[in-house]
Amino acid sequence: MALKLVQTRKNEADNPIETSLREAFELLEPQLRPPFPLGVPTPPEYIHLNRAIVYGVLCEPHFATVHIKHLHGKITDGYSFFTHTVTKVVNDLYHKLVDSAKVQLIWVTTEMVNVSAIGTEALLVALLRQIVVGDCNDGNLWLCLELVSLFLAKWDCLLEEEPLVLTSALYTFLQLLADQYGPARNSKLEELKQMEIHFCVRMLREQFQLCLNVGRDLVRLLQNLVHVPEFRIIWKDLLFNPGEFRTKEFHDISRLYLSKTPSQYFLLQITPEMETHLRFLLTHVNLGSQRRYQAWFMRKFLSLPERETLLIDIVRFICCSHHPPNEIIQSAVIPRWAVIGWLLKSCRKNYIEAHIKLALLYDWLFFDEREDNIMNIEPAILLMVNSIPKYIDITHSLLEFLFLLVDNYDIERKDMINRGVFSAFCILVRKGVVHSLDILVNCDALSPLLKQRLGMLSSSMK
Amino acid sequence: MAEMISLKDIVPAAQNNINSVFILVDKGRVTLEGQNRTCLALVADNTAAVHFQLWGEECDAFEPGDIIRLTNGIFSYQRNNLVLRAGKRGKSEKVGEFTMTFVETPNMSEIHWIPDPSNPKKYVQERVISPHSRIFPPML
Repeated sequence: MALKLVQTRKNEADNPIETSLREAFELLEPQLRPPFPLGVPTPPEYIHLNRAIVYGVLCEPHFATVHIKHLHGKITDGYSFFTHTVTKVVNDLYHKLVDSAKVQLIWVTTEMVNVSAIGTEALLVALLRQIVVGDCNDGNLWLCLELVSLFLAKWDCLLEEEPLVLTSALYTFLQLLADQYGPARNSKLEELKQMEIHFCVRMLREQFQLCLNVGRDLVRLLQNLVHVPEFRIIWKDLLFNPGEFRTKEFHDISRLYLSKTPSQYFLLQITPEMETHLRFLLTHVNLGSQRRYQAWFMRKFLSLPERETLLIDIVRFICCSHHPPNEIIQSAVIPRWAVIGWLLKSCRKNYIEAHIKLALLYDWLFFDEREDNIMNIEPAILLMVNSIPKYIDITHSLLEFLFLLVDNYDIERKDMINRGVFSAFCILVRKGVVHSLDILVNCDALSPLLKQRLGMLSSSMK
Repeated sequence: MAEMISLKDIVPAAQNNINSVFILVDKGRVTLEGQNRTCLALVADNTAAVHFQLWGEECDAFEPGDIIRLTNGIFSYQRNNLVLRAGKRGKSEKVGEFTMTFVETPNMSEIHWIPDPSNPKKYVQERVISPHSRIFPPML
């Protein structure tokens, strides 16, 4: 009986990764059952053996333990190549894998965690990235459940060996909960939600120091969950009882505000395929030629209304995790602000549109030259300026929202936010991203109130 | 290894020797031709575009954005349409998605070809009928 790793589709070429694994397996098949050959494999033999075992583990559930024992006996690199190969399978093939291979994937990941394999973090992150936000189908829920169970079961081990991966899981599950929360459509979803809440609360209560690594987006995510009883208490403590977290660096929520979130967190909600497509669009497609690509992207990833929350994550990704080099910025390639403008216009739901604007402007609120990157705030100002005059409603909407945030985001810390936004405007003018704010101040189509505020800002900058 | 050709270099011929990689830009409606399902599509690489005729299972196998590798394809007149297709002896396979740049001009199907005066077995371009597909006009 032929073994199958991926679902075969008509008129689809073989995937090179699948082929390399299958060929290694077929080549070494006789050696993969006990008694295993003794002797140390040469480097090329070692590679083939690892590949063969990956294939065997994923396609032969009944022999998986045999394969793993074989692997344990032959390892010379801390499982580095093995986990790297499994990670590649996740990144490139996950959506094509047959169901039994997905089950095996979780099993082998657990095995790798058990032996503290090198590369475990990358493997776990790759799996987290395969969870699709806004997708309630069984396969996706199954993956969520398996992963949250794994993180809970292997808590101590991961805390010791790969603590940061727990923060990636926290980021992912907080985001998922915001999306999943609401009347449970079924009991499975309820069980999943409870486990996710349990994991997140435990992280925040027991490992807050670790959670600080997430930076300001932790606040953004928690804000979406204030209506959930377990998180409401945490939110209150963040604002009023920071001592509850027993972390010496954490005296006030502003400690989080002032920490930029590392760019790798924004990859978590974007699948590798989405990432590839977006980076291709922003690197190779000229302004004027983007319409077809945008239509394909929409159809593939955003065809269902429930998926609109993805727009928020994509905007965050573009601002913070995709910084084009000067050659691209100065070329005819479609700029980031234009892609963000398209995403903003694609949004149908008001509350999501508000979140998208927050995602676009978030790094403005607490901008500090020493900590933050101008590339994170550049798309917003360019979108505002380049939308004049044809899309003036966007300019208006963004400026209005920015000042709304300044006035209301955190009333107690309004001075800090004022300083942040002021610094953001200053550095954008100083570095020549825009010549001055005059184009906005002198724009007739903006409301007098907005122009007044901008005018005041502009004169303080001089 | 079969020799690959850019779409700008294809010429109508009764030979199934076209090996090319291109992206599916747009797809029309599926119709029935006798017992067989068929569908016209616009494909392109970064040198040119052309109309591609999907046949049978191909109609469902490919979607806009798919990158396709054609082996032993044929570029010829099918019921007055000049189309590229896999034909009986050719093969089309999806090899990727999205990550390919392309142009919609020139369109090799929207060119009037005539036999080469010095070699009637070969075709040459006489004039351009339309700079781009009239069936799948560019998105503006």
